[in-house]
Amino acid sequence: MAKKIFVINGPNLNLLGRREPEIYGHESLEDIAVLCRKVGNAHNLLIDFRQSNHEGQIVDWIQEAIGNVDAIVINAAAYTHTSVAIHDALRAYNGYKVELHISNPHLRESFRHTSYVSTAVDAIVAGLGTMAYELVIELVHDVLRNSTKPRSAL
Amino acid sequence: MISLASQHGAAEHDLKNTVLILNGPGLGDLGNYNSRLYGRMTLASLASDCQALCDALGLELDFRQTDNQDEMFRWIAKDSEKFDGVIINPIGHSPAMMQMFELYRSAIQMIASLKKPVIEVHITNIYRHVDEVTQPLHEPAGEMGFICGFGKLGYLLAIRALARKFGAARET
Repeated sequence: MAKKIFVINGPNLNLLGRREPEIYGHESLEDIAVLCRKVGNAHNLLIDFRQSNHEGQIVDWIQEAIGNVDAIVINAAAYTHTSVAIHDALRAYNGYKVELHISNPHLRESFRHTSYVSTAVDAIVAGLGTMAYELVIELVHDVLRNSTKPRSAL
Repeated sequence: MISLASQHGAAEHDLKNTVLILNGPGLGDLGNYNSRLYGRMTLASLASDCQALCDALGLELDFRQTDNQDEMFRWIAKDSEKFDGVIINPIGHSPAMMQMFELYRSAIQMIASLKKPVIEVHITNIYRHVDEVTQPLHEPAGEMGFICGFGKLGYLLAIRALARKFGAARET
């Protein structure tokens, strides 16, 4: 059975490519989704790529992943720095979890220095630009290939 | 007289992009670390995995480790400008080591001011060490990546990211 990865994107990422391209790059989120699916196809991984501006929707998606998905890659965007609800949902999910940021939040405003996501995930990537998505899918493939851990329910 | 086009072509053909990987205090002892957190690896096995990937990507690698903070800063300050990209595992920065942290910060800013990509890598997720006060740099330092928690794969991810940045990726 093909392994399944959720790529979850938070608020304002639908504007990618148009919003502050000097920080976030010129690629649109759809461009990134296409590249992620391409890497997924090469490794027989199902990539389910999503975006929402709504915190509760993101919580619902993480809950949906419990027992159904082998790994989550999450760019919670601004909710990274505010959402205890997303932190709790991630804690409830036992599969492999990666926090991703296009820019490096630590080099930006101090209100971006706290992440509620970081303490709830296995690993973090920041500041590598939009190419991070493809590279992380590739890496998660390596991690899943070496793991015998089944998708576990709560 | 040599035309600009042929000069450019020759340069592209001959020059390999160079990567410097610096490992801070204690990492020489990696084989004895808590294997639950760090996995089973030694610094030598990590170095050879990094070397294999750099070979595959057509990059030249200089992989170093020191237990001496002064030497680490000397490498960052004096040697990093000879390389196209730098990957650093600085180990912990704690308030008790604030002077070190200031030195580290200024050294990183120096590399960033040369517009060279720098990526900080930690083997474990530093935010999940409850009793350790490791913190990433909080200073606008140009382009700087941050990777933690992937074990040795974090180093390989950093190398792939640099290769992409150099436009030198030859994988796939």
